[in-house]
Amino acid sequence: MSSSIETRLISRERAGAAPKRAARIGAVWYRHMRVYTKNIFSNSVPPFVEPLVFLLGVGLGLGAFITRMQGMPYVRFLATGLLMTTAMFTSAFEMTFGTYIRLVFDKIYDGMLGAPLTVGDLMLGEILWCGTKGALFTASVMIVTTAFGALSFGLVWLAPLVGFATGAMFAVLALLVTTVVDNINNFNFFFSGLISPMFFFSGVVFPLGNLPGWLRVVAEFLPLTHPVRLVRGIDQGLSPVNAWDGAYIVVFVAGIGALAVARIRKRLID
Amino acid sequence: MHVAKRLDRPEQDAIVVRHLFKHYGALEAVHDLNFTALSGRCTAFLGPNGAGKTTTIKTLYGKARADARPDTEIRVLGFRLPAEELEVKSLIGLVPQDNSLDEELNVEQNLVIYSKLYGMPMTAAKPRIAELLDFMELSEKARSRVKELSGGMQRRLVVARALLNSPRLLILDEPTTGLDPQVRHLIWDRLRALMRDGVTILLSTHYMDEAYQIANEIIIMDKGRLVLQGEPRGLLAGHIESFVLEVSEPGLLESLPQARRAAEEGTASGRLRRDRTAERVLFYSSDLASIEAVAGGLPTGSHFARQTNLEDLFLKTTGRSLNE
Repeated sequence: MSSSIETRLISRERAGAAPKRAARIGAVWYRHMRVYTKNIFSNSVPPFVEPLVFLLGVGLGLGAFITRMQGMPYVRFLATGLLMTTAMFTSAFEMTFGTYIRLVFDKIYDGMLGAPLTVGDLMLGEILWCGTKGALFTASVMIVTTAFGALSFGLVWLAPLVGFATGAMFAVLALLVTTVVDNINNFNFFFSGLISPMFFFSGVVFPLGNLPGWLRVVAEFLPLTHPVRLVRGIDQGLSPVNAWDGAYIVVFVAGIGALAVARIRKRLID
Repeated sequence: MHVAKRLDRPEQDAIVVRHLFKHYGALEAVHDLNFTALSGRCTAFLGPNGAGKTTTIKTLYGKARADARPDTEIRVLGFRLPAEELEVKSLIGLVPQDNSLDEELNVEQNLVIYSKLYGMPMTAAKPRIAELLDFMELSEKARSRVKELSGGMQRRLVVARALLNSPRLLILDEPTTGLDPQVRHLIWDRLRALMRDGVTILLSTHYMDEAYQIANEIIIMDKGRLVLQGEPRGLLAGHIESFVLEVSEPGLLESLPQARRAAEEGTASGRLRRDRTAERVLFYSSDLASIEAVAGGLPTGSHFARQTNLEDLFLKTTGRSLNE
């Protein structure tokens, strides 16, 4: 070990300037992207294939009996809904099991918070990454379903944007759940109790209009309902109710996000 | 000359802590801690588990918040905590107790991620990473997955990670716990090299030899309080006898009259300090003759006389009971 190398270890003068906020959040996003893409095949193929299997099984099988739904072919109705559920699932898994493992088992945050980051930067980076995953999964499912003719090509170059919003919504919701559980097995309550029912009661497989009145009111408050209706609106023509969908998404991400970050800050900062 | 020295003055204290209190609910983890760590030197926190070492360290980079009190002051490299945590964190390097590495990624990728957290452009990060891998003797492992590395290699990687931003202050929380002697000595050597280049070091440990080997200043903590502070040799000279006789068969002190008499006389006159564990009796003294008097009455193999060390001082100040 020559001494010149050691001298260079401290040769740079620094003024104590941390990177700008956007760069800090971007660096956190980069970390997640890097770790995720390390095992890109096993990480992305199953969640990508799942909606396609569902579309084939239910859409083609059931679609033989139900040809049209809300004025469009049933397969297309289902496919637009599945664009959003794929974003929901990937994001909800990432920020429950993924975040919990980083928090409790691998203690990844303990190291990262030694670098110039705030807890807010750390969590915004994660939420941004979940949104990105939502957009990517929406886009890939969309491309395949379009290729199979389930979706028209005209749709939905806007769909990945709604997929991003869906990813962000379920990221903040999952983060909030993560701050509540004290055991990784408790996430089963979240998935069986909230995420799975939402799959059926948010207008993905059948329209909300077919629900009893009181359940329709409940569905109106479920987060998945809004991106699903919004993406169908983009496909079939927007209507005034889509403004409510957009507003719901923005308020949900901001409100639940602020609450979840405040709670995780308490957990991360002694 | 005087002017220059005065201008340098604020730089001399890398860390200033005044009246640090920290409660976790009803538990008081740190009680009125005051200390200063000088620039370019190594300060070591020594204390049993639960002494408040890690809590104190966490308050130095915003990972823990001190109790809100008007007289509390925490300043690191001239910046105040917790208000200026980002400035502090961009100037320091941290080796946390847990490695917190991304195990799926390889060595280089782990460092690239942190170079981005520090806002380093790739053109600067690449040579810096190569330099640090060389410094920590990990160059051959650059492409190895972290989960394939030994514990010692992982720890060296965490040290390399903490040096990415060329920190002026390096904080290490139990850097060598559980590592083999080769790795410990390598890490100590690297810390010495960094100190020679002016890097300030703050570490916590419960290894006496670690503190004795590399620290200029030792702070012994127990139950959230500072118990003793000073440079290692001074602490030994000022706070503990020079020699100790360990008797491994305490029954002999009863059955052999010469040994018993020497022990009783020495203890009564204050020349010997008697301490005992479940299986041993220890006589501390700065008077070698008093030690020899007891030892002379005991058969070979039943006792062992030696110079006292930091561990003796540590046990004297923090007690022998388990911190549970």
